[in-house]
Amino acid sequence: MVPYLFVGFGALLVATALMVVLHKNAVTSALFLVLAFCSLAGIYLLLQAEFIGMVQIIVYAGAIMVLFLFVIMYLNLQHDVEHGAHIALRRGIGWMVAALMLLFATLLMRRGWATGPVSAVLPEQAGGNAAAIGRVLYSRFLFPFEVTSMLLLVAMVGAIVLTKGRRGAEEERS
Amino acid sequence: VIPIGWTIALSAIVFCIGVAGVLVRRNALVIFMSIELMLNAANLAFVAFAQQLH
Repeated sequence: MVPYLFVGFGALLVATALMVVLHKNAVTSALFLVLAFCSLAGIYLLLQAEFIGMVQIIVYAGAIMVLFLFVIMYLNLQHDVEHGAHIALRRGIGWMVAALMLLFATLLMRRGWATGPVSAVLPEQAGGNAAAIGRVLYSRFLFPFEVTSMLLLVAMVGAIVLTKGRRGAEEERS
Repeated sequence: VIPIGWTIALSAIVFCIGVAGVLVRRNALVIFMSIELMLNAANLAFVAFAQQLH
């Protein structure tokens, strides 16, 4: 059952990722990106990483995609700005580089890179990985966690101050 | 249990699609979305390795 689900979610992920890249309309590719993130969350659940799967839904499919759609609709960036003869060349080079990288990855996998047996086995964590992450995050990594929260707070206040300052200067000028 | 090779292969495919998107598209927003695809492919590889180490 699980391998079939994995293949299904994987095929959905690859198809939606291709649609993100290939579709002309930016809003449509953003919506395909939402579907890609949701299928990736399904794959995380199949890999027994429940916490990462839920965070994927909440953060990526929720927050980041709302940000993308808001920027697209606010700035009205619906279409590609492409004209000129060098676009075809650029496209060809882009797909060729991607194909080369895929070939390189295939060669690495054929040689068994990073897919061989594991040397050291980590101790088993009891009670699901959300509980394990919480236990570690609030005990051993408490200080970096708090530093990160302070960093985010400073970034938020800084963004508000900067944008307010610019708007105030424009109003003074006019 | 899913073999790690499948997950790594899927991650490589998604990463390559993201690279193609960054190189092919001209729209800045779509380039950002392709970068997000690449970041998610890296996350998938991390989760695969974590599952193997578990």
